[in-house]
Amino acid sequence: MSLFLASFGFGLVTAAVLAIAAVGFTMQFAVTDVLNLAYGAVMIASAFVAYTVNQAGVNVWIGLLSAAAAGSVGSVLLNRWIYTPFQRRGSAPITMVIVSLGMTLIIEFGLQGIVGGTNVSYTMSQGPTVRAGGLILTAVQFVIIGLSIVVMAGVHVLLRYTKLGKAMRATSANRSLARNCGIRTDRIVTTTWAITGALCGIAGTVFAINDGSFGATSADLFLVVILAAVFLGGPGQAYGAMIGAVVIGLATEISAAYITPSYKDVVAFAVLLVMMAVRPGGLLGVTAL
Amino acid sequence: MTSAQLFYMFNLLIYAGVDIIACLGLSQQFGVAGVTNFGYIIFQAAGAYTAAILSLPNQSANGAFQSYIAGWNLPFPVPLIGATIVGGLVALPFTFLVGRRLRGDYAAVGLLVTAVMLNLLVTNYRPALNGAAGLSLVPSPLQGEYNPQSTGYQWVYSAGALLLAVGAYLLVRRVTESPYGRSLRAMRDNDLVADSLGKNLLAQRAAMLVLGGALAGLSGGILVGYINLWSPAAWGYAETIVLFAAVIIGGSGSHPGAVLGAILVPVGFEEATRYIPPFGPPGLVEDLQWVAIGLLILVFLWFRPQGVLPERRRKIGAGPPPVLAVEGPNDDVVTVSAWPWSPSAAGEGDGPAVRPAPARLLAARQVAARTAAGAAPSAVTPPASADDNVVLRAVDLVKDFGGVHAVAGVSIEVRRGTLTGLIGPNGAGKSTLLAMLAGTIGVTSGQVIYHGTDVTGLPAYRRARLGLVRTFQLASEFKRLTVMENLLSAAPGNRGDSLAGALRGRRYWRRDEAAAIDRARALLDRFCLSSLADTYGGDLSGGQRRLTEIMRALMTEPAMLLLDEPMAGVHPRLARQIGGHLLELCAEGMTILMVEHELAIMDEFCDPVIMMAEGVVLASGTMADLRARADVVEAYLVG
Repeated sequence: MSLFLASFGFGLVTAAVLAIAAVGFTMQFAVTDVLNLAYGAVMIASAFVAYTVNQAGVNVWIGLLSAAAAGSVGSVLLNRWIYTPFQRRGSAPITMVIVSLGMTLIIEFGLQGIVGGTNVSYTMSQGPTVRAGGLILTAVQFVIIGLSIVVMAGVHVLLRYTKLGKAMRATSANRSLARNCGIRTDRIVTTTWAITGALCGIAGTVFAINDGSFGATSADLFLVVILAAVFLGGPGQAYGAMIGAVVIGLATEISAAYITPSYKDVVAFAVLLVMMAVRPGGLLGVTAL
Repeated sequence: MTSAQLFYMFNLLIYAGVDIIACLGLSQQFGVAGVTNFGYIIFQAAGAYTAAILSLPNQSANGAFQSYIAGWNLPFPVPLIGATIVGGLVALPFTFLVGRRLRGDYAAVGLLVTAVMLNLLVTNYRPALNGAAGLSLVPSPLQGEYNPQSTGYQWVYSAGALLLAVGAYLLVRRVTESPYGRSLRAMRDNDLVADSLGKNLLAQRAAMLVLGGALAGLSGGILVGYINLWSPAAWGYAETIVLFAAVIIGGSGSHPGAVLGAILVPVGFEEATRYIPPFGPPGLVEDLQWVAIGLLILVFLWFRPQGVLPERRRKIGAGPPPVLAVEGPNDDVVTVSAWPWSPSAAGEGDGPAVRPAPARLLAARQVAARTAAGAAPSAVTPPASADDNVVLRAVDLVKDFGGVHAVAGVSIEVRRGTLTGLIGPNGAGKSTLLAMLAGTIGVTSGQVIYHGTDVTGLPAYRRARLGLVRTFQLASEFKRLTVMENLLSAAPGNRGDSLAGALRGRRYWRRDEAAAIDRARALLDRFCLSSLADTYGGDLSGGQRRLTEIMRALMTEPAMLLLDEPMAGVHPRLARQIGGHLLELCAEGMTILMVEHELAIMDEFCDPVIMMAEGVVLASGTMADLRARADVVEAYLVG
């Protein structure tokens, strides 16, 4: 198998993990107006919930569900106790970002205080090696790709074909107008935190599975990659984030194969800065969700 | 004191100096200018690395166990100066992030990401700066001549660090307390309005990135000369958050606050936790320290967002208008006439008291001269030629928004000294027309002729400098500037309103400032708002905000005002007062075009009135004329 195909396969897996995380992040930002930098911390905290369940002897894929639930509940509470009070006071967007950075420290290092500074791994089998279309990946990696496709399809159906999705799009486009049209925006915002929190929890666990071993601060760097995918597609745009995830996922892994793995994330970084400088609205331009 | 205690004290003093300098730089960017730089720590790192590689000998001569570039073995103080310069220069490539186009929070995220990534790059790339291991055995300044371990050396190093901190304090105070600093604070409070008042946002933000970066670089240089090593672990992105915590807790935008924050957080907090006996598993105390930093940020942002030592209110006061004596170096007396907005009003014939007014339109100058000579407003005589009398003319103006004709061929004339009204139902294109006249938006076709000159191609700030100034439909006061400062921020041509001018000190710009203060006081007196001179813009009522905005527009020395619903949401009594003020201004030669919804206002104050509907001018004339026309009544007046 060629080097290109091998790195392409890894790229697809990275893109799959990234897509779940980036779509969750970007929908959260679009509807709630919070650029939540604590997203990475919530991801890894959820992954540790799955780890706890996994340590109790439960299969990690069932643990994934507990992580989704934990991410969902955690995000709703984070919003209710922290972000909403600040927003009600009319805090500027930049203040909200600083608040979310403060929450990052609290969640990440609070978690590290509990679980300790050493990395852990899920107890699971990587499954047999599977060959498909010239790619050689483990069964787990194929499951991750499949899971991501299912999640993307779910998001698509949610946004395009459900009343809730329509209300979310309306809220993101213009919250006060949506409220005047009879949409209960507060409830939509809370629901969005629940849904995107679940995506965040799933992303965290899948990220942890894919990385092999993880610790409380493992998501710091991945958050940067998520931001790159989000800004490439245009902040707040779900489909843009999907495209961004595929581009960044493939670009980082293929460059890792041809340049050196230590610099693979630097590619994501370069993409992010170039996008900010050249086209702050993202590839798709400015449209809502 | 035992020698151990003594060295501990030196340690604290030097760290205090380093952190104070770093916090002052960050406070200048974040608290004063509103530039949120989440990548601040990279500038400190740049300074530390620069000082290190300039003072280290060549890598092969240094045991060859480290790998780094340069290694020029330069003597003190070259490494420290290099650190400052490089810290400032490193900021330049980032100015594209803080320009006009990118939202502030996006730019902040971009800088945060940059900090994470540069750390990653330096960690993984060994040849330049020795990678993850970092640089060690960095020489202390003058260590060949003196023994860095001696008590005397440590005394001098501590004193030097603190002296540089004092220098940094004086520097940022000089910049912030100048007219330029006021422009920075105006940009922080509302960047779009600052832009429309002629402030160059990109230049101001770039200057603050460089100034703050230079201070951060200096702090890094001092630090590395003391601890003699520097590695990627010393400048993780979270270190920036510690500095932000310090600035927020101390008092954002307040320099004493930055000093206090530096002493409380990076120095005090980290030292205090040393005395906590270690408990739990290894690393737990450090983890809890980070949690505590996060909590401190949240608690302060919630309970005391202004910090322990808040930004102080700059009280200038209303003074005793209208005639004031201002002490300049030459004891010139500046007299303020009843013409506070006119450029030459205060200085006509007074020699050096006021610098010559910026290039102005002849008409405006004539009016000013008349008044300075003591002419009563009613003495304004119409110029000989009728065409001279047209201040602003729109010729067949068209604006399309994606196929919608918001304005579909409008030609109007506004004559000198009139308070011309512009009415029409919602969506008639009034605000769009106003925006095209002011240059806020471009035209699809047509021309804007101002005083006989085609200004269609000029951007808004250039038209503002020609005296064609607009106000906005939404309140746009600078919230954390006093009313007086709101006015002063709009005064054009102040010598202190540039970084270079600010750095030259108060003596350089005090006269311009005094002249601007006099004009502002006269305006406040005229609008009966002298009692509010030292009130923050954010604490005003709706009507007072509107008045402040009009006064601020007048401070730019306009020949013509474009007002977008100046009385919207204002108490009817105050609205009539505003109308009265506007009429007075017109009687004195000012030309005003005013968009308004309220027919009663039009009836009382505006003549002539231009009526728009669906993008075209339906009619114009006096309100009585308009009421007589059936189509006009049909379109608007009864509805």
